[in-house]
Formats: sequence, C-alpha cells, structure tokens
Amino acid sequence: MIEVRGLTKRYGGRTVVDDLSFEVKPGVVTGFLGPNGSGKTTTARMILGLTRSDSGVATINGRRYHDLSRPLCELGALIDSGGVNPSRTAVEHLRWLAAANDIARSRADEVLGIVGLDSAAGRKVGGFSLGMRQRLGIAAALIGDPPVLILDEPINGLDPEGIRWIRGFMQGLAADGRTVLVASHLMSEMALTASALIVIGAGRLIAAESVTDFVERAVSSVRVRSPQLDELEAALAVEGVSLWRDGDALEVVGLSIEQIGSMASRTGATLFELSPQRASLEDAFMQLTCDTAEFATRRQAS
Amino acid sequence: MRTALAMEWEKLRPVHKTSRTIALAIALAVTVSALVALAVASSASHMSAYDRLTFDSVGISLEGVNAAVLAVAAFGILSITREYATGMMAVTFLAQPARLRVLAAKLLTHAGVAGLAGAGACVAAFAVGQTLLSTGGLATGWSAPQLPAALGGGVVYLILVCVWGIALGALVRTSASAIITSAFLLVVAPILVQILPASIVQQASRWLPSQIGVQAMSAHHDPHAFAPWTGLAVLAGYAAITLIAGGFRMVRREP
Repeated sequence: MIEVRGLTKRYGGRTVVDDLSFEVKPGVVTGFLGPNGSGKTTTARMILGLTRSDSGVATINGRRYHDLSRPLCELGALIDSGGVNPSRTAVEHLRWLAAANDIARSRADEVLGIVGLDSAAGRKVGGFSLGMRQRLGIAAALIGDPPVLILDEPINGLDPEGIRWIRGFMQGLAADGRTVLVASHLMSEMALTASALIVIGAGRLIAAESVTDFVERAVSSVRVRSPQLDELEAALAVEGVSLWRDGDALEVVGLSIEQIGSMASRTGATLFELSPQRASLEDAFMQLTCDTAEFATRRQAS
Repeated sequence: MRTALAMEWEKLRPVHKTSRTIALAIALAVTVSALVALAVASSASHMSAYDRLTFDSVGISLEGVNAAVLAVAAFGILSITREYATGMMAVTFLAQPARLRVLAAKLLTHAGVAGLAGAGACVAAFAVGQTLLSTGGLATGWSAPQLPAALGGGVVYLILVCVWGIALGALVRTSASAIITSAFLLVVAPILVQILPASIVQQASRWLPSQIGVQAMSAHHDPHAFAPWTGLAVLAGYAAITLIAGGFRMVRREP
C-alpha cells in the first residue's frame, strides 16, 4: 500500500506536483497515467525520497521511505533504465545492491533468472541493449522480494516479446498480493495491464478509480445511419445535444440509443445503424487531460 | 553503517579500474623515483662533501610518490562522479537513503584502498630509489632514522588526497571538472606560484598540497615550509572544508 497525502513540489515558481493525494492498493496493477511533463516521475521520486517534497507526505505501508531500515526489501523501484555502471557485469550490479540491504548474495542470480537474463549474468552492462537494461532494472527492483513495486515506464525499449512478458509479469506480481504502481504515458498499454488508474495532469489529480469507471466517465456518442438523415438531424437538434456528420453517418452526444430510436420512429425515419461508440481508455484520457496538458496545442479561432 | 560499508566494498571489489588505478599509482611512483635517483646518482661524483652530508636520500627516493598523487586523487573523485554520470547514485540512495552514511562508507573504503596503494607506492619507490642511489654511494638504507616518519607521511598524504578527491567529487559532481580542478591545484598551481615575487613565493608555496607532500616525505626540513605533520594537518583542513561543502551538496541537491 502506497499513500500519498498533499504532495507538492515547486521548481522555482513552477508547481510541478500540486497537492496530490492518492492511495495505491495491493492486489492489482495500478496505472499512473499522465501526459509527459505532468509530474509522474517527480511524484515517484518523492515517494522514493530522491526528491524532497515542499509539503505533503508519502508512505509505504505506513512508513516514509527514509525510515525503512532495509528499503529494497519493502519497495522495489525501476526509475529509469540507467543507474548502472557500464563497466560492471549484471551480476556484480545486483550483488552490491544485495550487500547494501543484507540480502543473500545468491538472490542476485535468482532475480536474473526471473527476468530471463541468466545467460548474460557475467556480461558487462555497457554492451546491453535497452531492453536488457530494462530487464536488469526490473531484476534490481526485485532483489529484496518487496511487497511494493514502483515501475516508471517499464515498457521503454522492450521488444514485442518483452512487452508481452512484462504485462504478464506485472499482473503476476499483483496476483501475489503485491502493490504495483506503473507510471506510463502509454494509455493503450495501461488498458491491457492495469485495472486501477491514477491519472494526473499538470501535477493535479484528475482521476483515481478503476479503468472501467474511468472509461465510463468519458463522453460516448451514438452513431446513426439513415436515408432520412436530414429530417432526423432536425428532430434531434434540441438543447443539450450535440451532433456532427461523419461521412454518411450522424454522431450524437447527449441522447441514449433508446431516445434516438423513439425519435426516429416518431419522425418515420428508417434506421440502418444505431450503435453506441464506446470511448477507449485513450479517448477518455485525451478528453480528461486535454485541458490540463501543459503543451496542448490550443485551437485558434479564425 | 555496516551495510553501507558492505555496499561500497562490493562496488569497489570487482571493478578493474580500481586495481588499474592502484597499479598506475605504484608504477608512476616507482618510475619517477627511479628517474630522479638515476639522475642524482649519475652526478654524484660532482657533489661536494657538504652536499653529501646534507643529501636527502629518503626524500629523493620518495620523490616519485608526488607523481602518484594525481592517480590517487582521480581514484577518489571517480568513486563519486562516475555514479552521478551513470545515474547509479540514485540507485545507491534507494538502497541506502541516509546520504551522509553513503559518503562516510565511501570515504572509509576508498581511504583504506588508497592507504594500501600508498604504502605499496612508498615502499616500492624507496626500494627502487635506494638501489639506484647506491650506485652513486648515496643510499641510506632501510635503517635510516627518518624513514618511518617519511613513509608514514607519504601514506597519510595519499590518504588525505584520496579523501579530498572524494569530497571534490561530491561537490563538483562531473568527472571532467573535478579532475581538472584537482590537476590545477596539484600540478599547475605549484608552477604558477613561481611567477609570484620572490618574497612571497615561499610564503605562498608552503600552502600548496604538493609542497606539503614533499615536506611530509623528506628527511630534511625546509625552514620556509610547514613542518611535516603541520602540513598534513593543513591538507586535512582542506579536505575537511571540501568534505563539508560536498556533503552538504550531496544531501541538499537531487541526484
């Protein structure tokens, strides 16, 4: 369980993380979503005690990172694919980490096996591909067999096989009852992996709920096709309903399928199609963050 | 603290650069001592009786240790700057969140290695220097009364330079600027001091680390310079000031 209460970080006059509060519960993969520059990494670093917060507190199972006596056994973190001296071998890197928290030396070989790097254990990290470094970073996060994991952009640099592996791997960790927080800007990836979401934009909390609830909140439209589309459009154009043409179809927001069906029956229009258009996680994300996205291009009125 | 030491020792152990730096320090010390001793021995026949009487056989044999000093400084500097350069420092702080404890563990482990390397360099340089000086009849041998103090001074000098290097690494963080700074203070400053007016050259040069090192390892004391242990205390002061600033920056600034 990770708890964040009122976390705030300012750099100069800029507020990067603004009074952020959320909880990450064990047993599920929680996606930590936000556009680039929204404060995900800064938040993760504050939880890990690498960045000092201006106010607020983050705790891991009730204690702050600094107060953990063997932090690697309480929380495993993948903060970026760097962090390894290239002239060290993979197993040497893991051995000093193990030594730092009184973890058995043999655990280094064990975690290399878990991430599928056993054959590269004795190779220098400088010669590793980005995907191999990422696996080594995950091995490092697992060294203390921690109940809580924070993985920042774990998909980076992985090949399709690696991506499939990490999806299943993260879900397996959560199924073991661990707390798994995965920061990502890839909505499509989170749609496949996460079941809970924490969404931030410009350092503020936008949503903290299940993926299903989050998608529900996004506006869904209804697609209508009919030979009498003009008449139907005129009948549907009432207060609070927005309509737009998409080719030979009409997209309707603000009316249910039932309401549109009844309306069509009253005007005598024949319906070829009446289908709900479900927003994807990506759509939901775009809708809910577009006004907060720091670098969003604003449409110029001409 | 025990786990922090174990961490730093485990980091230090397998990196071949560590042993390479130590080998380089010893090789530099031996080579320079050999060259100096050879040059002195070859002109021994021209020395006056007074020259022979005041000849500093110990100091000349240990002259090469001053050449090893840059390698030892780099050893200390790189222990910190390489971690910052590769992003490894963040991982270190994840494993050991108490940053000053990490700094202390680095100091102890690296100073220990520097001390061993320093002892190796001093003994090897002295052995080679004496062998070559004996060809000119200028050797004093292992029983010289000033030898223990000179060897001890040399080792302490190299340990302090290593500590100062670590402190400088923590303060400056990038390998290039830290090494340039140390090279300036250890190698360039002694040359620049020479262009000062003669009246203040001696006053100024006694504050230089290199001058402190020479004094610590010589049998004859230069009246204008600090006494060996006074000089080493001054060098310890430099290291302490840099260490306080470096430690402060390490704790306050983000990795």
